Amino acid sequence: MTTVTFYQLNEESDREPDQQLSAVCHIAAAWYSAKKRCVIWCADQASAEHVDEWLWQLPADRFIPHNLTGEGPQGGAPVELAWQQQHIGRPFLINMAASVPENITRYQQIAEFVPADEPGKQAARQRYKEYQRAGCDMAFMPVNKLYEKHDG
Amino acid sequence: MTRVSALFSAKGKLSDHIAGFSPRKAQTSMAEQVEQAIENKHALIVEAGTGTGKTFAYLAPALELKTKAIISTGTKNLQEQLFHRDLPLLRKALGSNQRTALLKGRANYLCLNRLRQHRGNSTLLDGQTLSELTQVRTWASTTTSGDIGELKTLPEDARVIPLVTSTVDNCLGKDCPDLEDCYLFKARRKAMEADVVVVNHHLFFADMALKDTGFGELIPEADLIVFDEAHQIPDIASEYFGEALSTRQLQDTCRDISMLYRTTLKDAQQLDKAAEKCRMLSADLRILFPDTPQRGNWQQALRRQEVSSCLSRISESLSGLYEVVKLHLGRDKELDNLFDRVSEMRSRLTTLTDTYQTGVSLWYETTQRHLVMHLTPLSIADKFRGFVESPKRGWVFTSATLVVDESFDHFQRLMGLSDAHTLALGSPFDYAKQAMLCVPRFLPEPSSPAMRSTLLDIAKQLVDASNGRCFLLFTSHAALRDVAAQLSEQVDNPILVQGSTTKQALLQQYLDDPRAVLLGTGAFWEGVDVRGSDLVCVMIDKLPFAAPDDPLLQARIEDCRKRGLNPFANIQIPQAVITLKQGAGRLIRDETDKGVLVICDNRLVTKDYGKTFIASLPEMKRTRTLSESLAFLRALNEEQHEPVSD
Repeated sequence: MTTVTFYQLNEESDREPDQQLSAVCHIAAAWYSAKKRCVIWCADQASAEHVDEWLWQLPADRFIPHNLTGEGPQGGAPVELAWQQQHIGRPFLINMAASVPENITRYQQIAEFVPADEPGKQAARQRYKEYQRAGCDMAFMPVNKLYEKHDG
Repeated sequence: MTRVSALFSAKGKLSDHIAGFSPRKAQTSMAEQVEQAIENKHALIVEAGTGTGKTFAYLAPALELKTKAIISTGTKNLQEQLFHRDLPLLRKALGSNQRTALLKGRANYLCLNRLRQHRGNSTLLDGQTLSELTQVRTWASTTTSGDIGELKTLPEDARVIPLVTSTVDNCLGKDCPDLEDCYLFKARRKAMEADVVVVNHHLFFADMALKDTGFGELIPEADLIVFDEAHQIPDIASEYFGEALSTRQLQDTCRDISMLYRTTLKDAQQLDKAAEKCRMLSADLRILFPDTPQRGNWQQALRRQEVSSCLSRISESLSGLYEVVKLHLGRDKELDNLFDRVSEMRSRLTTLTDTYQTGVSLWYETTQRHLVMHLTPLSIADKFRGFVESPKRGWVFTSATLVVDESFDHFQRLMGLSDAHTLALGSPFDYAKQAMLCVPRFLPEPSSPAMRSTLLDIAKQLVDASNGRCFLLFTSHAALRDVAAQLSEQVDNPILVQGSTTKQALLQQYLDDPRAVLLGTGAFWEGVDVRGSDLVCVMIDKLPFAAPDDPLLQARIEDCRKRGLNPFANIQIPQAVITLKQGAGRLIRDETDKGVLVICDNRLVTKDYGKTFIASLPEMKRTRTLSESLAFLRALNEEQHEPVSD
């Protein structure tokens, strides 16, 4: 069964401006080291390239091999950045887009985010419902938990 | 504070006497470690990033502690820099009386005996060579060093050079009538008397492998041996610990024998006949291989019927020649020497056709006219370890590129230096501010045919943004030629292409024209020092993995597999990392240098091993947005052309 975990993001602050991107990198890194091939699904090409830039600038000891859809070796790198539905063919997905992916139940695990702003929250609630309707196993936690679990 | 750290301190002799010197922590700690290596007689491996000042860090302790030292470096140019610039400067600053000497390989010195042989016997030479010979004669009457390099008008590959210099093979040694005036002999004697001798790696290993005598006597005396550009020595050492025999050597020897028949032993016509036969057969061997120069597996080539039968005929004719020369032994010193050459070649040929050996790779390479058979040991670690361990003395191995992914393992394993002390010193440069590394998005896969047009497109944009001032480095001649041809049609900047003239001349042309772009392969990945706004952009076409069809590499890979190791991780990646570090190192040469490195190979981003490369390169700001790099270059370009305010 598909497990969907929603991570509640904190209010945006100067202290931690890019918390969603940090969390995405964190989850992608964990899946990469567990040899779980994942896709990071982005709203559009520009946001995919933004994530690409972010991943590429990680310190070498946190290197995550990745590709954008349309480049890279046959079968892709361990992490793929996509913005078009038809290319998603991996069991693990990190969703940075505003809508749910097609064929939800094909995935083993999906990571989702609940932004702190109101419209973002609304969209997340909508997605939550859709996953529930599709019969997924739902989980919810504050984004900080992600790091605790790792460190603990 | 030790004697050496005192030298490097703010109130030390270097600060006092050398303009612009200021104490740098990395340099001082390297010097201290060198001091310890000398005192405790151990081996030290130091990676010193560009700008550390490693030359002073090993020369100053050697001079200050009055050490008998051999300094070996990569090229003749670097030798000259060390000898003519750095050593005199330091000797003066330290008030040192240590005697210094420069010693090059045999092929750099005029051989008076060989020069005399060509007097009057000009029928065998073509016009070009004859005119070169005239130049050499004129210069020979005035030179004191006999170093051919003084003759600046002579191209490095002038055909006259082998005619007027000696080889181990044709040198008459102690029997030579010109021994008293021999330039090589004099240079070696000077080296023997000196305290600090500057040599190059080829010379060092040629002597160490006891292929030559003379300088070899110097090695036992030394208390300190320093290898600068030490990343080069695993390959060079392997070459000299192996064996080689070329059809050129065979033919040269035969020609010398024929020459002797024509000049002095006019009654011995069999000499000429036997030599001629052997010469023809060795020329036949080359014809059995494709016209285009190539490298290949010699063991496999020997399985070809026509190759093996040609070799047995060569071997027979060599034996015939051996017998004939033997008959005339004692008649002429020259001939006695030729007898030694023939018997040496005979035994080498036997070794090189023995396909039952293990632990070695048998391979060949062909040039336009010749074929060279090679035997290379798969590992030199044991041999070299023995050499380093006894007798005990100080050893320093240093280079800007030895560390792979924060470890010296690769180099230590190759050279058998597992017990050596190691020290990694970062560069003092602020790479994150000074340099940008870009791997553009949506590149075709490295081996895809579409790559060429992408390279051309990126090159064009870079040349445009920086208005020249670029190096485009290639891993293959094919890609180089292709991009060079098209680029010169599409941009109006002068395009300088490797191969059109010598490396030094091409670099000079590049420096002379502020809008020039230089395209090169191998030779330009290292040993090129272009500072400041003269070089703001380096593009690299591909991760520099060695060609997988290289026969020596294949043998090493096979051997690695047999030992249960992963050859890709243990051999290919480390080698490519070192090469990439060298190539990338061309960009930032100074604290104020700025620039962009563009690597057109997305494996750096998409493959697991990308991490190893990234971790081994200086910490430049990374981007995948080509337009950002172009903007950076444009800004640099404008900075450069802003009117200087006073």
